[in-house]
Amino acid sequence: MTAFHFFNCAILTFGPHAVYYSATPLSEYDTLGTSMKAALVYLGTAIVKLVCLANFLKVSENDEFDPYQESLKALIGLVDVAGIYFALTQLTHRNISQNHKFQAVGLGWAFADSILHRLAPLWVGARGLEFTWDYILQGLEANANLAFSISMAALGSLMWLRRNKPKTLIPLIYICALIVATMPSITSYLRKKLDWHFPEVVGFELGSSLVMAFISWQLFSACQRRSS
Amino acid sequence: MSSRKPGDSDVLSSLYSMIPLLFLLLACVELSDAAAAVDVYRLVQYDISGVPFGSRLAALNHHAASLHSSAGADLSRSVLIIPLRELNISLVKEYISQKKTLGGLLLLLPQMFNFESGDMAVTKDDIHEMERLKNLLVELEELLIHANIPYPVYFAFEHDDIEAVLADIQRNDVNGQAATPTNGGYKFVVSAPEPKKLASPIMTNIQGWLPGLKPDGDTNQLPTIAIVASYDTFGAAPALSVGSDSNGSGVVALLEIARLFSLLYSNPKTRGKYNLLFGLTSGGPYNYNGTHKWLRSFDQRLRETIDYAICLNSIGSWDDKLWLHVSKPPQNAYVKQIYERFSGVAGELGLKVELKHKKINISNPRIAWEHEQFSRLRVTAATLSGLSSAPELFQRTGSLSDSGNLVSEDAIRRSIKLVAQSFARHIYDQQEDMPVFADDSSLAVDLSYVRLWLDLLSRTPRVAPFLTKNDPLVAALKKELAEHTHEVNVQHELLDGLFTFYDSTKAKLNIYQVASVTFDLLLLLAVGSYLIVLFSFLVITTRGLDDLISIFRRPPPRKSKTG
Repeated sequence: MTAFHFFNCAILTFGPHAVYYSATPLSEYDTLGTSMKAALVYLGTAIVKLVCLANFLKVSENDEFDPYQESLKALIGLVDVAGIYFALTQLTHRNISQNHKFQAVGLGWAFADSILHRLAPLWVGARGLEFTWDYILQGLEANANLAFSISMAALGSLMWLRRNKPKTLIPLIYICALIVATMPSITSYLRKKLDWHFPEVVGFELGSSLVMAFISWQLFSACQRRSS
Repeated sequence: MSSRKPGDSDVLSSLYSMIPLLFLLLACVELSDAAAAVDVYRLVQYDISGVPFGSRLAALNHHAASLHSSAGADLSRSVLIIPLRELNISLVKEYISQKKTLGGLLLLLPQMFNFESGDMAVTKDDIHEMERLKNLLVELEELLIHANIPYPVYFAFEHDDIEAVLADIQRNDVNGQAATPTNGGYKFVVSAPEPKKLASPIMTNIQGWLPGLKPDGDTNQLPTIAIVASYDTFGAAPALSVGSDSNGSGVVALLEIARLFSLLYSNPKTRGKYNLLFGLTSGGPYNYNGTHKWLRSFDQRLRETIDYAICLNSIGSWDDKLWLHVSKPPQNAYVKQIYERFSGVAGELGLKVELKHKKINISNPRIAWEHEQFSRLRVTAATLSGLSSAPELFQRTGSLSDSGNLVSEDAIRRSIKLVAQSFARHIYDQQEDMPVFADDSSLAVDLSYVRLWLDLLSRTPRVAPFLTKNDPLVAALKKELAEHTHEVNVQHELLDGLFTFYDSTKAKLNIYQVASVTFDLLLLLAVGSYLIVLFSFLVITTRGLDDLISIFRRPPPRKSKTG
């Protein structure tokens, strides 16, 4: 029964990535390699981030929101953006269209994040006898994260790869990218400063991820129309 | 295509090499993520000549139920939690006598019986309730100890965690709801191995001599007065059986008397013409088996030098009267002499001592008082006790209710004074009122000493089969006796083969809040439909509705590279 629960949480956490891959044209163009490269870049980024966090951040005993520390954390969080930049521009991709490239990168990115951050707690926790909602919520969080990663990749590809974007949309693109990039800090602020509980935070993440995904989708298709 | 292959396999192989590493890491993480973990103490498990008694199992893994569950409910696969405060003893009787099976039984004891919780302030209002609970607990223990119970029975103390769980369970049971994750389906898990027989339980007797003064030096010729107390206990839960009154009070009194007389005997002027023999005996609950072995080990001549022996038993919670239990008729000259001395001293101290005679029935294996072991070997002996009648087997041997806060230090102090004074009267042959151990003299009973030892004994479970040869308590008693007497001997004896004991007296109870299978099924359904909706949505937005329909029309979907 607990294995059952583990299975449920696992498909909630990792299922959407597989569904995304198989449902969209990504599977038709065989972009698994791109996703994997992105995942490896994520791994490298995670290590760099860890080193930065370990070097520059004090370990706070109490779970308080310290603006200085948090802004430092947000700054280190920008390493992620650099990682996505690297994955989008510097890696040699097979000839796939920009349209599919960013999706593959975002997908690989989110999947690596899920594996690294969620698999171990899931394995340890959800198989135990004790029932908590945490692992279901964590699965939902993985979904939100997928949407964020793909939006970020989409915005990144708009910023760095597309030459002829409509001038009016450029500020909007940068604002959206900034919001998505600082999302971890925002949720941390909500949790620590405003004392939101985990379900509320997850709800917020799901809602905002939907909004951001929709906006970036519209932005991307607007630019697409313009260039075509 | 071929140019991509090597790179991909590199990636894959590096991933594969990480997988075993990951699992190695995960294997190290032992999971114990329970809602609460509670210390529980198992009901004693023992055999008397092969006949099983007590709780016969230790491992537990069942859902919890309370007394409020509907009458017809099948409890054979659930753990029944009963707080002592709500216990209906006839219900337990019914369960035991009709041999109804339960998954397990968890009895919640009030904190006032917990020796680990320290001193609890008992207010006046509580005393009545406390008395009721104490009597109830005694009755319950008696029932459980003498029954053969085929499921695990555990004791735990009331605690915020477990009370919250209990309240949840009761609410569900009252409403007749099935257990769901959010409203408290709880699983109680004790992972314990099958209880194993304890190999050859050992009793440890400790004796100390305080030699008297004999001008020509051979103290072996002097008459001896023995003072004896049995120090081990037996109760429903061996890990909780501290026996503050029975017989911690006797041990404390013995140690204090040893201290007082060592002061007297250290000065040649006040060194009496009697040897004093102090004996801390084990095996008290088992018909004073340890005392029996101890006496047997004596030389016949030595035994004959014993003038008389006083055994101390349960002298910590009497109000106005102590009893001197003897097994020879009161007309017997020795008995009369002892009694008169005791009652004389008691009169001066403002106490009352009454003589009680109980004949020994040689054919009856039950030995209710320690002095009967002496009497059987024709040594004059008496037991001084706060109890008026002889206890049955395993009665008053350190029950759960016998905790430190129910023992009066003053009662012990007065008992010590009584015994010490009457000894002094005998040793120094005083006739009239001459208090040797006056309260303000240097020979006054040291209350802090009494308190210290009573405190130690009140938090040390000491069921003989579970004490090792070098148990810290035994070592401490030996050391303390060596402080005050000469020639301290420790004697290890096997407990006679009638009794067999089983281990695992203490365990950790993990309480898990669990989800029902139905909930997991529903969750699977929800997640599944979410994924299907997501799939359809993605296909429609990226490839169009027709593609989606074509996927369902022609399974398996053939990937057409027309894009």
